[in-house]
Parts: sequence; C-alpha cells; structure tokens
Amino acid sequence: MIDVRSLVKRWGDREAVSGVSFKVGRGEIVGFLGPNGAGKSTTLRIITGYLRPNAGDVFLDGKPVSQDSKAVRAMIGYLPENNPLYEDLRVREYLEFRAALKGVPRASRRKRIQEVLEACEVTDVADRIIATCSKGYRQRVGLADALLANPPVLILDEPTVGLDPGQVVHTRHLIKQLAEDHTVLLSSHILPEVEAICSRALIIHEGRLLFDGTLADLHKDLSGAERLVCGLKAAREAAEACVASVPGVEGFTLLEESGGAARFRLTSAPGKDIREALFRACAGRDIPLVELTQERVSLEDAFLSITTRDSGAEVPA
Amino acid sequence: MRAICAIAKKEILSFFFAPMAYIVVASFLVMNGFIFSVILAALSQPGAFSASPMAVFFGGTMFFWIYMILMAPVVTMRLGAEERKSGTLETLMTAPVSDFEVVMGKYLGALAMYVAIWLPTLLYGLVLSRFSKVDWGPVFTGYLGILLVGMFFLAAGLFTSFASKNQVVAAILGFGVLVLLISLSVLSILTTDPFWKGILEYVDLWGTVQDFGRGVVDSRHVAYCLSGAFLFLALSYEALQARRWK
Repeated sequence: MIDVRSLVKRWGDREAVSGVSFKVGRGEIVGFLGPNGAGKSTTLRIITGYLRPNAGDVFLDGKPVSQDSKAVRAMIGYLPENNPLYEDLRVREYLEFRAALKGVPRASRRKRIQEVLEACEVTDVADRIIATCSKGYRQRVGLADALLANPPVLILDEPTVGLDPGQVVHTRHLIKQLAEDHTVLLSSHILPEVEAICSRALIIHEGRLLFDGTLADLHKDLSGAERLVCGLKAAREAAEACVASVPGVEGFTLLEESGGAARFRLTSAPGKDIREALFRACAGRDIPLVELTQERVSLEDAFLSITTRDSGAEVPA
Repeated sequence: MRAICAIAKKEILSFFFAPMAYIVVASFLVMNGFIFSVILAALSQPGAFSASPMAVFFGGTMFFWIYMILMAPVVTMRLGAEERKSGTLETLMTAPVSDFEVVMGKYLGALAMYVAIWLPTLLYGLVLSRFSKVDWGPVFTGYLGILLVGMFFLAAGLFTSFASKNQVVAAILGFGVLVLLISLSVLSILTTDPFWKGILEYVDLWGTVQDFGRGVVDSRHVAYCLSGAFLFLALSYEALQARRWK
C-alpha cells in the first residue's frame, strides 16, 4: 500500500533522511520508531506530499507521489506532528472546513462530522473555540480531521504526545480499531506504545533505517547471545567450576555471593539453550540449583542498542 | 472550485473573528466619513470649483491612497504568514487541494473582505441623492476602479504574506511594495521627458482611479491593474509551489 523507495532529503549539507526504503502492506499497522530528530517526521512529510525529497519516490497503491501528489493526498489521513489547528475556529467549523476541502459530499458532511466527533470523543467540545480546548481535545480533533474523508491510509505523527494516561489508552484503542480497515503508519519515540499497537516496527536513526521487522524479530535479532541468570547453593569456587564445566557456556560473570550461594549470568551462543546442560552439571556435582531465569532483552534495550550500534557506543546489558 | 470556496469562506470567517477586522472597518468608515464631509463642505462653499463629490472622493484626495496602502496589507497579511507560523500550512497543503486552489481561495477571500469594507460607502451616494442629483454612471465606474486597484494591491499583499513567516513583516513588505507602486504616479507627474512620461502614464495608479471616478474607463488602466494582479498571483503560486512535488 505504501512503498517508499530510497528517499533522500538534505537540509543544506546535513542529510535528514538518507536512503530510506520500506513497504507497508494493506491493512498493516506499522510503528515508525526513532529518537527525536531521527528523520521520522521528515519521512512522513515526504510521504504526505508536503516536502519534496532530493532523491527517491513514494508510491501509494501504485501511484507515485512525485507525479500525482493530489491523488495520493486524497488517500491519506494525516495527523502532523504538534497537530497544528486554526485556533480561532470552533471545532465543528474547523471540521466543516476540512470536510469541504477534502471533498466530503455536501449531503453527507454533517453526518460524517458527527461520526468522527463521536469516534474521537470530542462531541462535548464541538462548539468550543479550538484555542480554548485542552491539549488532549486538540489532539483528538486532529485525529478526527484525519478520519474525515475515510481515507484508506492513516499517517499519524506522534498521535499520543501530550495526552494524559487515560486519553493515551483511549487513543491507542481507537487506532487499533481503525487498523481493522485502514493501513496505519504511526511514528513514536515511545516503545511500549509501538509494542501495544503495532505488529511491525521500523527503526530509524540519523536518517537511516536500521530495523524493519516484527517486534518478535526485534527481540530475537537484538539479544544476540542468550543470557541466563542462575543461583547455585555452593561455595564460590565450587560453583564457578561447575558453571564453567557446562557445555555451551561461552562466558559467565559473578553477580553476587551471599549465604553460601552464588549467582551468575551465563552467556551462550544465540539460539543455544543451555538450561538442561546446566541442570545436569549441577546434579552431577550435587550442587542445588536454586534459581534459573532466562533474561529477556526489553524493547527499550533493543531500541537503545540498535540506535547506538552505529555510533559505536556501548551496548547496555 | 469546491476547495477554492471552502478556503475563501474560512478566510472570511477568520477575518471577522479577529478584532483586527473591526478596527480596520471602523477606522475606515470614520476616516472616509470625515473626508467625505470635508469634501462636501469644501464643494458647497461659494466660489468652489464645480465637481462631483463622489469623483473627488474616489482617488481625488491623498487620504484615499494612504488608506489603500495601509488597508490592503492588513487584509492580506494573515493569509500566508499565519499558516506558515502556526504550522497549519502543513495540514492545508497535505489535503487534496492544488496550490492554485490555495492561492485563489485566499485571494478571493481577501477580495470579498475588501468589497465588504467598501460596501458601506455606497451610503454616501444614497445620502447625496436625497439632496441633489447624482450621476450614477461615474459612481459605478469609480467603484470599478476601486475594485481593480484593490485586485492589484491585494495580490501584492498576498504575495508578501506567502513570502514571510511573520504577519508584521508581511504587512510591512506589502506596504513597501504598494508605496513603490504609488510613487510611480508621482514620477509620472514629475517627469518631463516625453519618452518616460509615455511609459509612466501606463502605470499611473493615481490617474487611473481619478479617471474611473470621472467615468472614464480606459482599457490601458484595466489591463495594467489586471496584469499586476496576475503577476503577483503567479508569484504567490510560485512561492507555494517551490516546496513541493508536482
């Protein structure tokens, strides 16, 4: 549905986006992740036809944005970063203007506006002037606008920024619901958000796409080595000798030593499960195994490690 | 066409929601009312030269131009600069509308505000007609002249607004452009060289409005105003077009 091909955007001699390519299939809900200033918004602005890239092109349903930007824009509902609105209009007036602009037929305009007001839960501020609405309401007015013409593709730039926790949950729920019959590309720098809503993630950093895959892939891809934390009820030397003898262990570090027990972190080759071997080794030496945990890399760690990998910074454990 | 109407309507709404509109309209009416009464008083004195008050009112005085130069940029200053500053340009330009529709919508909106500001002055003619015979022909052409010059000036103001991010800067730039245009009239009066005088007569806005006020519709004047408006609209379009794909 969305096909981005080697986009390049330069501001002066700084490359904001350098050769980003990805595809989003029909009905997919994809999270576009990256730290602030990574090039997320620039990429989204190019897709929506607001900015012209220095190289590359975007295809929506096979239509190139470079040739037929107006037709492409008609297929997109876009919520820009910071959600700019006309402060001096009332919410309903604003949506009426946007509906006319987007070519919602006059006959069904009123009905459609009521529908999106209800879907985004902004009915109670419909007759308020936008400047007097709270940030949460404004954000949802922006979302209502994106939905107005019922476009097949939704592009949402940080849709939950500035919302209180209750509104965040509601907005995520709404986006998930929309994803049932829309293709959604949403940007965020909040990982749990992407984890909660999206089936696939794209990670962009310093203008380069560093990861494109499912969240499960991200977990796997990332951790690299398997990590295991174990506790052995034995003196330190005996315990060390025991874990060292386990086949498949590539390294171990002592975490703590107390009350006649020692805790270690063991690492082994990716995909190699050493839990059973560890149990047998302990059993063979008659050392009680009192703790055994598989360490999962959190998405935060994954993200940090992907985005710092390039710059050569230490990968946090 | 639908998008042009929607944008024009939104601009008119926004204009009249802001206190600025009422300041502009009120000061315009107070000042023009004052000028009109001064003109009437002057013309009804014994030994005054004989002229139609409406003709003097249209471009016959300095005040007319001072007000035109100030009003046009104030009407147009918000149109582009505000969108750029508040970021709403992004929502506007990513809606399925063409740049041509954006420019025309804003321009027609500005023109409608301009007409709305001038409309109450029709009352002057009505008041006059109660006390003396009014020749409506020149009054009509006078308004035509005001419309044409307004089309020119508003297009210039629209361009300066699209070219800057700050309303005040847009207004001052527009003001500068209009002063330049008016000073061409002064040049045409001062020049004695027949070659330059011939050329400058084409661009003499002061003379243009006076001619219209006297009931003279000169196609050269019409062509000048319309081509000026066209030039600035084309420049506004280019200013928008510069940033985006086809």
